[in-house]
Amino acid sequence: MGGEFEGVVRPRRAPGARGGQAIVEFAVILPLFLFCLIAALDAGLWAVQTSAETSAVEQAAMIASSAGATPLSATAPDASAVTAAISGRLRSALFATGIRSWCATDASGRCAPDTTQRCPSTPAQVQAADGPRVVVVCVSEADPPACTTPPPGLAAPYPAGCGDSPTITVRVIGFVASFVPPGFGPGAGGFELPTNISATTHTLRFAP
Amino acid sequence: MRRSRRRGDDAQAVLETALVIPILLFLVCNFVAVMVQVTVQEQLNAATALAAQSRFQASSDAVDATGTRCCGAHGNTLVTSGLPTGCRYAAESFYGTMTTYTGLLHWQTAALCTFGGDSGNGGAQPVRPVAYAGSPSNADVSCDIGSVKPGGIVVPGYVDRALNPPSGLDVVICSASASVDFANTPLAWGVFWTPTLHARAEALPPPFRQ
Repeated sequence: MGGEFEGVVRPRRAPGARGGQAIVEFAVILPLFLFCLIAALDAGLWAVQTSAETSAVEQAAMIASSAGATPLSATAPDASAVTAAISGRLRSALFATGIRSWCATDASGRCAPDTTQRCPSTPAQVQAADGPRVVVVCVSEADPPACTTPPPGLAAPYPAGCGDSPTITVRVIGFVASFVPPGFGPGAGGFELPTNISATTHTLRFAP
Repeated sequence: MRRSRRRGDDAQAVLETALVIPILLFLVCNFVAVMVQVTVQEQLNAATALAAQSRFQASSDAVDATGTRCCGAHGNTLVTSGLPTGCRYAAESFYGTMTTYTGLLHWQTAALCTFGGDSGNGGAQPVRPVAYAGSPSNADVSCDIGSVKPGGIVVPGYVDRALNPPSGLDVVICSASASVDFANTPLAWGVFWTPTLHARAEALPPPFRQ
């Protein structure tokens, strides 16, 4: 009877050797498993955050383009008003991330108007100014050139685009919180990923 | 005998690991790719919606002068001479918003504006849709005025500013399509599909305009 199963039953190993192999296998698989788990979690988190930012800048662009201080307003609302309007939507998705309005000061030390506002072009600029895991909402307005008398041979309006309505750009830029450990991502502080989402639209202005 | 069995066990463990690791990485790659696709779709939706809104931000009778150009992608510019200025506004809003992930996208280009018209145009009030023959055909977004019938068919129209227009209410419809190509990213290792994304947005003309 015993000879019938000879060669089928797995021979027993010494308990120490079996435990050692299991530990080695575990040590190999655990980092890979954790990497895959964290990558999947981070991808999901990043998608949720980016999605919230995209819908927020779209909403902010519509607010900024249609809601001047008065119906004849020549400028869009400032960044802090726009940030306040969308911060609730952003805050619910960007947990552990600070949300601020970008305000480059003018010569008098006050927040410069949107028409002269220069938004940061890289998330690193925001990190240098506001620290890690902070995104800023920046509103900038680009006005068309003033119309002038066209040179001989050219038709009005001159120069091209001088009668256009201004364009508003709302940008959410900075670093959002993530599971990326320090030393692995582009963020200096760790546990953050860069983001740079913007929306541009022409403003709705009433004829003065 | 015992030693060869032990080697067999070790080989089995190595084989199991060699099978599981690529499958895990494959799953993660595809999960990340789906997240990227969702994000790009969101941005495409936002850019198309803002383009539709911008179509009416220009004066109703404004037409781009000769030599007017705008925006465009892949080094191309769109020549918008003779087109309603609102068409250029739509393109500027679209390209101004669609600024990220552009390296992943292969656009399906179309004519920027093929027809429209606006009864608010004092010079030549349309009674039927106006065809824009000179519209650039290399635009990544396309905006026309009309009405959407069941099945998504767009019937050409024009904006009739009369109260309760007898022909019904026409809207501006902007659409854009692009395929997401992961070939030039690290995800190409495990992602073998190229999804095509479509976005369409409609906007009503605002009640008060210049």
